[in-house]
Amino acid sequence: MKVEYIDPFVQAAFEVIAQVTGDQPTRGPLSLRDKSFTTQQVTIVVGVTGPVEGQALYGMSIVTASKIAAAMLQQEVVILDALATSAISELGNMITAHATARLAKSGIVCDITPPSVLRGMNVEVSTFIPALVVPVLTQFGKMEINVSLAEVAAVTLKAA
Amino acid sequence: MSKRILLVDDALFMRTTLRKILEGAQYEIAGEAENGQDAVEKYRSLKPDLVLMDITMPVMDGLEAARTIRAEDPNAAIVMCTALGQQNLVVEALKAGARDYIVKPFEPSRVLEGVGKALAA
Repeated sequence: MKVEYIDPFVQAAFEVIAQVTGDQPTRGPLSLRDKSFTTQQVTIVVGVTGPVEGQALYGMSIVTASKIAAAMLQQEVVILDALATSAISELGNMITAHATARLAKSGIVCDITPPSVLRGMNVEVSTFIPALVVPVLTQFGKMEINVSLAEVAAVTLKAA
Repeated sequence: MSKRILLVDDALFMRTTLRKILEGAQYEIAGEAENGQDAVEKYRSLKPDLVLMDITMPVMDGLEAARTIRAEDPNAAIVMCTALGQQNLVVEALKAGARDYIVKPFEPSRVLEGVGKALAA
């Protein structure tokens, strides 16, 4: 996976989190994983399709997810119910959409799939594509961005 | 009489947020749909004054739903409201008959501006 694919996601996360919560996040160090996985409690998964495809995963603790959802809903969130989960899911959708808009400006025009949310510790999603990981640090806690993207020809070759 | 709006978005959070904004501005929510197919069916039965439509949805996306609704009712007022801001999609949405294109996340004022102008057009 090309390192330049992750930066649009980090920039998009900064932009969207600032808009929906008012927070100004910072980023932690970049790392690489052989498999796209997260050990966090709540994970939003959004697929990317087109000339570059794969997925973006946003992992966080339940506490962080609840705090972000509360900021988005502008109301207290005691449990991560359907509405709060939908808010977190939409956050992943908006970040991925804004990231693909940034990729489109570089000539890579992709579409995204509707988001899904995984709950539970040690959730592991295996892909053929290694994931680049960047922690985004917010006032609500850490959100880990995992991006596994590759050009379609490369994916086909590896899968064959 | 207040104008009636059909909200179409697969995200409960987004439908709830839009409902608050629009009801706060004295619009009536005619109904809600979670995907494009549902939107087409509800448009036929509810006959709203305007459809506020997401693009990325399961079953049928918002662009196809907009084309289907406009094919049946060429005067249908549709405003797209999506996180996807690529130029090619904006063009495609306008070709499908959308009167405006709102990018999420949005300020409430942007939603009211888009809906107001689309209803006045």
